Amino acid sequence: MNTTNLRDLYQQVILEHYKKPKHRGKTNPVDRYQKGHNPSCGDTIELTLQLDPNGDRVTDIKFEGEGCAIALASVDLMAGALVGKTIDEALDAIGTFQQMMKGEGEFPKEQRKLNVMKGVAQFPVRIKCANLGWHTLKAALQMTGEAKLADFVSNEAEL
Amino acid sequence: MTRESPILRLIQNLTGTADEMTFIQTKSGIHKPQTLADTVRPDFPILHREVHGKPLVYLDNAATSQKPHAVIHALEHYYSHYNSNVHRGVHTLSSEATDAYEGAREKIAKFVNAASSQEIIYARNATEAINLVAYSWGLSNLQRGDEVILTVMEHHSNLIPWQLVAQKTGARLQFVQLTPEEEFDFGHYQSLVNEKTKLVSVSHVSNTLGCINPIKDIVGLAHQYGAKVLVDACQSAPHLPLDVQDLDCDWLVASGHKMCAPTGIGFLYGKLNLLRSMPPFLGGGEMIADVFLENSTYADLPHKFEAGTPAIAEAIALGAAVDYLTNIGMDKIHAYEAELTTYLFEKLIQIPQVKIYGPKPPKDRAALASFTSGDVHPHDLSTMLDQSGIAIRAGHHCTQPLHRFIKAQSTARASLYFYNTKEEIDTFIASLQESIEFFDSIFS
Repeated sequence: MNTTNLRDLYQQVILEHYKKPKHRGKTNPVDRYQKGHNPSCGDTIELTLQLDPNGDRVTDIKFEGEGCAIALASVDLMAGALVGKTIDEALDAIGTFQQMMKGEGEFPKEQRKLNVMKGVAQFPVRIKCANLGWHTLKAALQMTGEAKLADFVSNEAEL
Repeated sequence: MTRESPILRLIQNLTGTADEMTFIQTKSGIHKPQTLADTVRPDFPILHREVHGKPLVYLDNAATSQKPHAVIHALEHYYSHYNSNVHRGVHTLSSEATDAYEGAREKIAKFVNAASSQEIIYARNATEAINLVAYSWGLSNLQRGDEVILTVMEHHSNLIPWQLVAQKTGARLQFVQLTPEEEFDFGHYQSLVNEKTKLVSVSHVSNTLGCINPIKDIVGLAHQYGAKVLVDACQSAPHLPLDVQDLDCDWLVASGHKMCAPTGIGFLYGKLNLLRSMPPFLGGGEMIADVFLENSTYADLPHKFEAGTPAIAEAIALGAAVDYLTNIGMDKIHAYEAELTTYLFEKLIQIPQVKIYGPKPPKDRAALASFTSGDVHPHDLSTMLDQSGIAIRAGHHCTQPLHRFIKAQSTARASLYFYNTKEEIDTFIASLQESIEFFDSIFS
């Protein structure tokens, strides 16, 4: 098989995050709850967030759900990188990630771990998978008011 | 190719099919019987391309089929020689286009053994044909308290239109479940049919499980209660001989693109009197007789249901596809595919991580296999196989409720057509094994 790029990608990303995710579960308390899904394949994740008392900093991010290795590794990496960030910083990171998926730019040194996902840009049909968690987080961050059983957000429209 | 060798003569005598069988000479000099795929592959230009430096192995035929030269040529010939609107002008081009467009309808009627070509309505695809029946017949015949029987294995296209009609009319949807072998549960169906049943809408062949549903028996029972039956033949029309008069179904729908024709064309078969009794679906040009400002009368069948300029080139090319399939013979196609299916299942079953859904050969079934492969998500698997030039489908195949029912979040699906070969199945199986091993090595 001519799969060097693909093997590199999977080996770097999956090893740590797909099989042994660090951020699976539910935050306590649940300050934000958002479901996201990829309608073309049926992959679904449920994202929960814990915010600081002022509501402007993300103090914990957890996910549950089913998906492919790229989708789940991406959301686990995201959670690891964005806990402790302000909502504005997290939104900026989402923007950077989505640019990176278009093959434009990458994360600065202190968040370079996220750059392992860069390889996904070479597999256009898989960008949606990588973006699932990030897209769902964006909806969760932009949500106003109380945590509630929100509708699904679909990542069909973006990218 | 040679027919002179004594060994060949011996084989021909032994098999007793010397007249039908042709042989090809392999590099080693050994003769092997020429398969149907060997004969037809030169007709499909796309099968000779490469993907990621590997010969394309196209195993996504349940999603759409590839097109032979004859079909591509029909499109090109129409646009190069007689492109014109149908049923309008009196000039030569219009008359040629009309003849070809209506000629294709005759071919389709013959292909499904309809009593008349007036019973064949062109539609964009099976989805549009089902919506036609749902909106035209469903909205004017269903009411609160009526029951519509579907199955849990339906494609979304045979589910959502009925959900919409049920919401508007108050009719209730009932769902036939599966047997332990993951086939149509006839016993459960019998328990659901009653005097309130007005419609049974069911796929002939499941695009995910590959089971072939007992349409004649389903129709027989439904008719005892006066219920109508719609058959979604998307996965059967390309692969099996069809006879709507023998099935006695009230409607049958199919998509051209799954049977060697272009996208954008499909058809609805309906019994003549039933189609006559149905109000128009879409209004516009082409479907009218007399038009006044306040009201109109409608054209006779089939044009009553064909508003607007139709997909003329596509319809003509569907006629060419039907000719192509008919020339090979649907019996021959089904027999060859059955042989391939047995081979595919023999190989797949040997991979311990693989779990296959639906009935298994020797049970007569469609030439496809939906499966999961241990911890490897179908998406990841599909990306790996694509790197080896192998195209399979990964996801829910537009049957989300069925996937919930069989408790699989998504599946991978390899679906065959008569141009696929055992060698391609070998390539697929080898890459599948390699992919599973690769993921296993990472996970362990």
